[in-house]
Amino acid sequence: MGNARIFRPLALLLGSALALSATACGGPSESSAEAKATDITSSIDGQNLTYWSMWKEGEPQQKILAAAIADFEKESGASVKVQWQGRSSTEKLVPALNTNNVPDIVDGAFAKLAPVIGDTEQGLGLAATYDATVDGKKVSDLIPEKYLANAAIDGKDGQPWMLPYSFSSDGLWFNQASHPDLASAPPKTWDEFLATLDALKKAGEVPLAADGDIAGYNSTWFITLMQRYGGPGAFKELAADKSGNAWDNPQVLEAAKKVESLIKGGYIINGYDSSKWPAQQQLWATGKAALLLNGSWLPTETAPYATPGFKYSSFQFPAVDDKPASVRADFVGFAIPKKAKNAAAAQQLAVFMLKKKYQDAYGTEAKVLPIRADAATSPEMASIKAALDAAPQIHQAFDGVVFPGYLDKVFNPKNDQLFLGKISAETFVKEMKQAQSQYWKDNG
Amino acid sequence: MTLTPTKDQTGVSARSSRSTSRKLNRAEGSSIERQRRKLLIPFVGPAFLFYTLLFVLPAAGAMWISLHRWSGAGPMKFVGLDNYFLVFRDELFLKAFGNTLLLLFVVGIAIFVIAFGLCLILRDMVGKKIARSVIFFPHLINALVFGVLAGFIFNPGGLVNTLLKPFGVTDPPKWLAQDNLFPLIMVTLICTTTGYFTTILMAGVDRIPPYYYEDCALAGATPFQRLRYVVLPLTWDVFGTCAVLWTISSIKIFEVVWVFGGSSGAGIPPTQSWTTAVYTYVTAFSAQSTPAYGAATASAIISLALISVLVVILRRAMRRDAVEF
Repeated sequence: MGNARIFRPLALLLGSALALSATACGGPSESSAEAKATDITSSIDGQNLTYWSMWKEGEPQQKILAAAIADFEKESGASVKVQWQGRSSTEKLVPALNTNNVPDIVDGAFAKLAPVIGDTEQGLGLAATYDATVDGKKVSDLIPEKYLANAAIDGKDGQPWMLPYSFSSDGLWFNQASHPDLASAPPKTWDEFLATLDALKKAGEVPLAADGDIAGYNSTWFITLMQRYGGPGAFKELAADKSGNAWDNPQVLEAAKKVESLIKGGYIINGYDSSKWPAQQQLWATGKAALLLNGSWLPTETAPYATPGFKYSSFQFPAVDDKPASVRADFVGFAIPKKAKNAAAAQQLAVFMLKKKYQDAYGTEAKVLPIRADAATSPEMASIKAALDAAPQIHQAFDGVVFPGYLDKVFNPKNDQLFLGKISAETFVKEMKQAQSQYWKDNG
Repeated sequence: MTLTPTKDQTGVSARSSRSTSRKLNRAEGSSIERQRRKLLIPFVGPAFLFYTLLFVLPAAGAMWISLHRWSGAGPMKFVGLDNYFLVFRDELFLKAFGNTLLLLFVVGIAIFVIAFGLCLILRDMVGKKIARSVIFFPHLINALVFGVLAGFIFNPGGLVNTLLKPFGVTDPPKWLAQDNLFPLIMVTLICTTTGYFTTILMAGVDRIPPYYYEDCALAGATPFQRLRYVVLPLTWDVFGTCAVLWTISSIKIFEVVWVFGGSSGAGIPPTQSWTTAVYTYVTAFSAQSTPAYGAATASAIISLALISVLVVILRRAMRRDAVEF
């Protein structure tokens, strides 16, 4: 029964305990980290780099990275030992960081790296990396300014600890082949959005699909609405309020009521509250529902079973009260542990990966959104890319909230109940206010 | 099923305590005794060393971590027993704890009632060898398969609802709704685990000499009386070991819960179906937040304490003089 699943966390816990006692909490000296950070242009010929990747062998991203690494080895003379660990790489990173045997470079999504490397101040400041040049341009000039403005990737020393190479975003997806009108005149405000849903319903279609068993999908509605009211960071501010009184703000109830209106309006596909992912997105991809709020990974995920001729397009989450609407950008990128022995070589590798050649491959082959604004993207991403280029600001998934257990234990369970139609908006707000004040009493 | 040797271990300890008392009686002991003592260190030493290094020390380490607030890396803050209070105050933990007890007792009782029933049938059945393999088979299948299969079977457009349609059921229950997941998990566990324990119990039942059954037949005993007066007393030690095995494994149940909700990797199971093991995992390795190792280890230690207490109680309650036959 569950042995493997249980053993792994236990082994990690226990392993880290052992490691702790073995290394006697030996932290790296700040000065050596600083020294490593400043000069990254030195020759790294003959050095051995260790790289832990979030990708698994065979994935499109992995193939591009592997090709780039081969080129890097040839050009620099260094050798890179890659471990294609898959998505659990950050879980393995936690105990490793307590030892002196850390990988020189890791990659992962911001939401996964931030709690492990960012917040715990285990990441090397990468100011020098951003100053380096690739394809004759400064790295910091290649990444659009607005991406970095709200990114929360700056450590306490003011330097970013992450160098993103791609990111994911989201939108309300639809099949442009059957709904050309949604592409030409997408609803821009919440009221227009409801009108669109009503029109779809009147036309005999199911307006919205949703895989209600994925808490992260369910919460996107409320969190994005909060961001529409108060801009990026509004939900984080709400969650960070220790008294819980922030939930009394009438806009919070307004946002919850908007979520509730989707359920009460009967817009969401039948059975969304009692199915298992990917059942509902499969129905959506076969034309059983018109719209689906989901990430930029959706075209890749649904392509194998989508109706032939399905043309992916999307519009952005509707705005509220004429307020500027931000676009989601969850970074995937590199971080370098402070204790890395080959930090200079690691930074060179990270910079090397930003070459246009590989960035283009990301866009066209892996069909993700490359971080460089001048990189090519696939047709499936065209609508999102346009929205990103036009957006005044970006925001993060879950608004960057990483308080221990807050989402999993406090917010998501309550939000699930709201989204699955078990409690009203008023009850949701009331219960959240209480649960949050208790959470901060316990974790403050 | 790592704990199979439990029974032997207790046997060993009983023997060694007997030898200790014998040693006390005869001050210096025979040459055999001295030999034995000389061999103690080379034989027990390595095992003791590994056990201490790999289990005892880490467990002590975990206890130490549970007294701190720690995100796995970076500074540790000593908070005393706060994590334990925190865990016990947490509604989700209490719910998870309740679920674990449901698995332990409700599923456990169901498993053993069915297993004993099967034992009675399987003894006299034609083709019992094949039947046994068939019953055992579900235990070999990875729980992941059941999790994925649950989607096919119970989704709104899935197998069950399609089969129900011809019978006029147009508004079937919401099988996979968050509140219904845990009962489904319980049923799945009963289905997959019963065969495993039936197989072990059958080994005990097969040991019973046939003349007891003949005696029963002559005395006109009902099947229930046969169970009550022959099968149960003569398989009591096997049953006791099975009960301990189930107690230990039920408290660690994780993957089946995980795959029934959240197998996509995009999420974690709904809190309604959490067990303490899931609670521990989510607290330590939540996908989207800073790990809380202190609280996670506290919950793991509570589970460990629960197992220990239950196993001791169970072994006390099940203690009988073994029937020699």
